[in-house]
Amino acid sequence: MRATLAIARKELSVYFTTPVAWVVLVVVAFFSAQVFAGALDGFRLLTTRAGEIPGGAALLERVNLTDAVVARLLGSVGLFLLVTSPFLSMRLVAEERRTGTFELLMTSPVRPAEIVAGKYLASLVVLVAALALVALLPAALSVAGRGAQGGGAVEWRTVAAGLLGLFLLGAAALAVGLAFSALSATPVVAALLSLLVLLGLWLAGLFTVGSGSAARNLAAGLSASEHLAPFLQGRIALADVLYYLSLCALGLFVAERAVEGRRWG
Amino acid sequence: MIEVSGLTKRFRDRTAVLDLTFSIGRGEVVGLLGPNGAGKTTTLRLLTGFLPATSGSIRIAGFDVFEQPMEARRRIGYLPEVPPLYEAMTVRGQLRFASELKGLPRRLVPGEVERVAGLTGVDGVLDRLTSNLSKGFRQRVGIAQALLGDPDVLILDEPTVGLDPIQIREVRDLVRSLGGRHTVLLSSHLLPEVAMTCTKAIVLNAGRLVDFDTLDGLIARHLPGRKVTLDDIAFLEEIFGKLVTPA
Repeated sequence: MRATLAIARKELSVYFTTPVAWVVLVVVAFFSAQVFAGALDGFRLLTTRAGEIPGGAALLERVNLTDAVVARLLGSVGLFLLVTSPFLSMRLVAEERRTGTFELLMTSPVRPAEIVAGKYLASLVVLVAALALVALLPAALSVAGRGAQGGGAVEWRTVAAGLLGLFLLGAAALAVGLAFSALSATPVVAALLSLLVLLGLWLAGLFTVGSGSAARNLAAGLSASEHLAPFLQGRIALADVLYYLSLCALGLFVAERAVEGRRWG
Repeated sequence: MIEVSGLTKRFRDRTAVLDLTFSIGRGEVVGLLGPNGAGKTTTLRLLTGFLPATSGSIRIAGFDVFEQPMEARRRIGYLPEVPPLYEAMTVRGQLRFASELKGLPRRLVPGEVERVAGLTGVDGVLDRLTSNLSKGFRQRVGIAQALLGDPDVLILDEPTVGLDPIQIREVRDLVRSLGGRHTVLLSSHLLPEVAMTCTKAIVLNAGRLVDFDTLDGLIARHLPGRKVTLDDIAFLEEIFGKLVTPA
C-alpha cells in the first residue's frame, strides 16, 4: 500500500513537472469551453427565434439548458478524454522500461499489482482534475442562470450522472492505455495502439453499417459511446456501469500480467 | 549468505548461464569476473530476481529468490548496469522514493538518505536534478540507492564503469569498506579491479564458472612458483588470459 502511494506520488510529480498533464488539461478545458460556448449560442438562438417558426413554442417547452447545452458539452468531453488519455498512460510503464528504472521497481520488494495500482491511481487523479475543470462550465451556467429563470438553470442530478459516466469512460480508457504501456517497448507505440483501440471502441457502431442486426447489436454492446449516452440523459444503468468497469478490470489485469511477465523478458 | 546451485538461464536461442554453483559467506567481498558477454549481468539479474532462472536455485540470506521474492529482495541492495535514476527527480527525491519502495519506516527515511549520501559523497548534490549529474555522480547515487536500508547483500554491476581514475579509487575504497558489514558481489571485466577490492573471485567464461577461489589461491594454482603481489597487474592478466581462452 505504501509503495503504491509512493509510486502514485512519483507519477503525479512527473505528470506535473513535465508538460504532459498540463497539455491534457489545457486541451480538454479549451475544447470544452468552445463546445460550451457554441451550444449556449445555439440555445440562445433557439429561445429568441422560437416564436418565428411554426411549432416553435412547443419545441421550447421540451428543451432546457441541461439537455441542450450541458449534455451536448459532456458528450463532446467524452471524445476529448478518449483522445487525450493515451498521452497520460503511454509513459507509465514503457518509459521505465526504456530508461532502465524498471529494474529498480522490479528488484524492490514491491508486487507488480502494487506498481500497476500506483500508476493507475496517479492517472485517475489527472482525470478527476480534468473533469473538475469541465464541471466549472455547468457550475457557471447554474450561477448565471439562477436569476433569470427563478429556479435552478441546471439539473445537477443529470449533470452528476454525466460526470460519473465520463469518469468511468476516462478510467476505462486509462486502464486500456496502461495495458498497452506495459506491453509496448516505447511510449509512442503504446499511445498509438491505445488510441487505435479506444477510437475503435468509440466508433464501433460505424463498422457495422449495412450488416445484420446481430452484428449491430454486438457493436452497440461494445461501443464506448453507446454506453455513455444514457449517463448524459441522467440515467445510471447497471449494464453501462459494468461495461466500463469490465474494461477497467481487463486493462488492469493485462497490465499486471505484462509487468509481471516483463521480469521474464 | 548467497547460495547458488545449478543455476541455468536460457534465452530463446542461446544459453547465457550454465549450471552455476557457488556460495558466498557473510561479509565476503567477491568479484564476478569475465570478459564482455560472459554472463555477468545475467547472473546478477538472476540473483536479484529481475530475471527468472530456467533451472537451479538461489538463496539470499536463507530466502529462495523465486519462492520468497519479497523476503529475498528486502535483503538485497542492487546497482544495475545503468543506475536506475528518474531524470525529473532530485537526488534526495530519488533516494526517498527508493526508500519507500524498500518499505523503510517513514520516520527513518530522512536520516537514512543523509547516511547513504554521506557514505557515497553525494551529500553535496542532494538537491540537484539527477539529469544534471555527471556520470560519476550518477554512479554514486546508484550505489547510495543500493545501500538504503543497510541490506545484508550488495550486488553491484560494474560499479566503476565510466568513472575517472580518482572516482574509481574512491568507489573501490568504498566497496572495500563495505565488506564485513555487507556481503558484496560485484562484477567487472577488469581483473586488477577485482584484485584491489575483493577477497575472492568467481571467473565466468561463456556462461560457465571456470574458477572460484581467493586471489592467493588463484595465483598459487595458475602461476605456481611465481612470487606475485596484488599490484602486479601483468601477472593477474596472465591468469585471466589462461582462464578465459579455450585451451
